[in-house]
Amino acid sequence: MSAIIENNQLPFSTKFLQFYKDRTLLAILLSLFAVMFIYGIFFTENYLTITNFKAIIRDAALYGIMAIGLTFVTLSGNFFLLSLKETASICGVTFAMGMATGFGSPDLAGNFLVSLLAALAVGVVSGVIQGYFVGMGGNPIVVTLGGAGILYGIGAWWSDNLVINFTRPHDAEWLGTGSFLGLPSITWSFILIAIAAEIVLRHTNFGRKVYLVGANKAAGKATGHENFSMAIIVFTICSVCCAFVAVAFVAQMDSAQSNYFSAEFGSSGDMTILVIATVMVGGNSIMGGYGSTLRTSLGAIFIAMVDNMMVLQGFNSGPRIVGVGLMIVFSIIVFGLFAKGSRAQE
Amino acid sequence: MENFLKKITKDVDLSFAILLSFCVYVFFAINIEVFFSHNISFAILERFAVLGLVGLALTICIIAGEIDLSIGSNAALCAVIVVKLTDPLGAPLAMIIGLSVSTLIGATQGFVIAFIRIRAIVITVGTLMLLRGVALLIAEEKTVMLTDFRVPDFITTKVLMYFSPASLTVIFIFICVGIFMRYTKYGREIYAIGGARKEALTAGIPLRRPMIIAFALSGFCAGFAGTVIGLKSGTAQGLGLQYLLLAGTVAAFVGGVSILGGKGGVLGAAIGALTVNFLNTGLVFYALQVHFVQLFTSVLLVIVIVFQTMSRVFDSRQARKSLLATIDERKTSLLEKKRSALGR
Repeated sequence: MSAIIENNQLPFSTKFLQFYKDRTLLAILLSLFAVMFIYGIFFTENYLTITNFKAIIRDAALYGIMAIGLTFVTLSGNFFLLSLKETASICGVTFAMGMATGFGSPDLAGNFLVSLLAALAVGVVSGVIQGYFVGMGGNPIVVTLGGAGILYGIGAWWSDNLVINFTRPHDAEWLGTGSFLGLPSITWSFILIAIAAEIVLRHTNFGRKVYLVGANKAAGKATGHENFSMAIIVFTICSVCCAFVAVAFVAQMDSAQSNYFSAEFGSSGDMTILVIATVMVGGNSIMGGYGSTLRTSLGAIFIAMVDNMMVLQGFNSGPRIVGVGLMIVFSIIVFGLFAKGSRAQE
Repeated sequence: MENFLKKITKDVDLSFAILLSFCVYVFFAINIEVFFSHNISFAILERFAVLGLVGLALTICIIAGEIDLSIGSNAALCAVIVVKLTDPLGAPLAMIIGLSVSTLIGATQGFVIAFIRIRAIVITVGTLMLLRGVALLIAEEKTVMLTDFRVPDFITTKVLMYFSPASLTVIFIFICVGIFMRYTKYGREIYAIGGARKEALTAGIPLRRPMIIAFALSGFCAGFAGTVIGLKSGTAQGLGLQYLLLAGTVAAFVGGVSILGGKGGVLGAAIGALTVNFLNTGLVFYALQVHFVQLFTSVLLVIVIVFQTMSRVFDSRQARKSLLATIDERKTSLLEKKRSALGR
């Protein structure tokens, strides 16, 4: 009772500060957004065009979808996967194999549905196996580091480290290069997946369990929500997201290779680190239990925006990687300082 | 000797490491005729100079209960700096500058981790990207090359049949770090904050000092590995050396560190690095592609992880069983007492 009265008697400025402090990272992110936007309008040519914004969201979509999958893992307190790009590459190889050769049977060659299902199945299998080891008590970083090497090795072995091509009129064009209502399909998928993930996390039993297990493993175990099944489910979700991105990317390029997602993908060096960066810049707690996929999507758009501006200003890849790296370190330090002593941290 | 045997039989992970290393070596020694020769031993030690250092760097971090993901980038940055400065300044001064930059980066990471009290994986993912970008900036996105190749020649000369100046230096570093970790107060503090952090902090160990020392040491080792690679080949790239993280992790885990911290040591790191080297060197003879080497190294890592997890689960089950047995014993003894009291 006294707490309520005290809260009512607080002056407005304190209340505002309290509100701001509760949502510090979101506020900082939004103000940075605004600063970048205004800077972009005044100092960058060709910035304020519809085409450019479409390009930004399109860039953000590719690693945004993967980052939304990764958010589930992070929220459930399993840190992150270091095998994101390897999962994506082996799924891409599977899809291209299906489109090009039909896995050995000529009838199935070019069959979109079979290839898609095969790619998703590979994603599910790799996610379940890694999740199993993590659920058994392995450290997620080390397990997925090993998993990354194995997935890459198998993918390269299967494709003989060659580029797998398939010719242009194929069934997957609508996903790769098609567009609907003026936006590319991949952007629509990003929007739909973001909304679906937010609904799952906020309004379903499973989503609340993810937060519970992430926030307090011991309490989760005591109430019957073990990390074992949780780890398998979240790792599978993340791997399936990777598989989807791989399918979309391969459908766009009409070809796949085992190191498509490795060095110098897009802009900032390494797909895996870029996706992890997205989750962190969005302001999700890496210890789990705090954050949302909305933040992740905002983080993806923010990174894409900064990157886009640096490209328009004519920077090379070095300064761009430094820029993304600085963003990660900044958001980690800010988050760490503000979350110090609160529940969100350990 | 007896002491040594006792230590090995007591430490399950270390004995597993020795067994694994022995198995890998014997497998290749049987299948490849030339494997057991001076030249191959020299080659293995040459690789050990790089991989051993990375394994050592990760071992120190993992002993402190954290993991440093930015090792590859740190090594690449140091390699770029050293190779770039060797021509104008000479090798020794360039090495001093590069290594001090690496050590300083490590120390800063340790300070941030201890000051904000976040997990190291969080901050080192950020520095992984940041340092890679800085290395690219310094190298101007090109491959930096030496023009004077006397330094690489000197580094790879054979000394005493098996050694080169590089591997001798690395062995010296290993001995120094081993003594430091085992016999000094600062080294023991690193073990303490890794094995039982809450207890250590309650006992009055400051978190900052051991954390900074551990990460500075690991940065130094990573930088030195980068220096050796850069000076040996005479070239360096900003984006290179990312494979070091996997190889170093495998070396550290084969060497018997526990992800929970506070376990393992320099001896284990050396054995782990040697195991990975045996594997890599042996696979060269089969003329396999690069991705197979990565595949087999990862399989090795998975084997070790499974073994460690299983042994941990087994231990906890044993502990539970023995606890239940004690409870049962007490119960029966109490019942007997009661019965005898009633019977009387």
